[in-house]
Amino acid sequence: MGTVVVLELYTVPEQAGLTELLSRACARLHEADDVFSTWQEASPMSRLRRGDITLEQAPPEIARVLERCEMARTLTHGWFDPWAMPGGVDPTGLVKGWAAERALEVLRAPTVIGAMVNAAGDIAAFGGPSTSAPFRVGIVDPAERGQLACVVQLAGAIATSGTYERGAHLVDPHTGRGAARLASASVCGPDLGLADAFATALAVAGQPGLAFVEAAEGYEALAIGHDGRWQWTPGFPFAPPSPVPPDRPARMSPA
Amino acid sequence: MKRAPIVMGATALGLVAVLSFHTKPASLTLGAVPPTTVPPTTVPRSSSGTSSSPPPATTSPSSPPPPSSSTTAPSTTAPTARRAVGEAVNYNYGILSVAVTVQGRTITHVGIASLDDGGNFRSQSIDQQSIPILEQQAMQAQSANIQGVSGASYTSAGFAQSLQSALGKVGL
Repeated sequence: MGTVVVLELYTVPEQAGLTELLSRACARLHEADDVFSTWQEASPMSRLRRGDITLEQAPPEIARVLERCEMARTLTHGWFDPWAMPGGVDPTGLVKGWAAERALEVLRAPTVIGAMVNAAGDIAAFGGPSTSAPFRVGIVDPAERGQLACVVQLAGAIATSGTYERGAHLVDPHTGRGAARLASASVCGPDLGLADAFATALAVAGQPGLAFVEAAEGYEALAIGHDGRWQWTPGFPFAPPSPVPPDRPARMSPA
Repeated sequence: MKRAPIVMGATALGLVAVLSFHTKPASLTLGAVPPTTVPPTTVPRSSSGTSSSPPPATTSPSSPPPPSSSTTAPSTTAPTARRAVGEAVNYNYGILSVAVTVQGRTITHVGIASLDDGGNFRSQSIDQQSIPILEQQAMQAQSANIQGVSGASYTSAGFAQSLQSALGKVGL
């Protein structure tokens, strides 16, 4: 997939066995890549897309991930649709987060206070840098990429989708053409796979997409428009003390 | 309260797996520790690092102060500036190494010491977009007390690794 993933552990001092934990977490990432990579011709996902194998013949993880994709497609009212991709079903937008969550599971050892699996800016996490604080994560300002737009408190995962990172790669499933109605869409919630799907869908759908995120229990979103305007769901976890920088317009409730 | 040490590993899906582990002191708080009297390893060139003022008392997402244009001639009372270059690491589009300048326990500048992307046009445009941002993000991360950035470039892992290596060389 060409994605660089960084894993970080916060533990009690002199904790043994951490190398082993990280190795096992990395192994899970590579396993997922070997199954799902559409860049590898011989991967089960590639073979499935070509029709060389059926879903029943493929590793069971593929069926599990596609079920999640179905759920995400329903929850996003079709704005996230892996079946609308040319070349066959492509769950890549959700697999990255799914794989990161599987790697994170490995890191839940008794002496681990907090852990983050950061897949190119989409982060799955538990705990925090100390026993009394959650992780604080900055969100890149799409208009000023050397700066942060804001800081959030993580209770689980965060995914950000935007047009600024690698150019226009977001596709509108309804038209099949490139579309990005937001400069940046960030979604926080319990599961990174779903947060990934929501963020992708929101970036394409634009501000009205905040409604489908708000309808999903436990998920919150921040939308930054190309005009620099911010809108967010009521529970978006801005880190204290103040979520609104002085020069931002007043917040608006989603429709 | 004892802060936990940090262990970091990185891997690249679909590329060569890189596993590296570092521990570092938990705190790089400004002004918390008296400066050490280690002579500088290299004389720092004039840089655009931010001045070593204390972070704001409340964290806010406002932009950091603009870089000062003065050259780095430390006063007799200021801690000596030390600079180190981290190990060269592979990142998605080539090889880079990070340079860090510290005064006392404060990072005053982070930059790219060397970058070899094979002269490939595509990687050049990504580097130009991404590397300066990573430099800024490294600075911002220190002042906003954050542990991660969402929406960041995929070159960050190599950068973080070399930065860690450079920090180790200056004893942080």
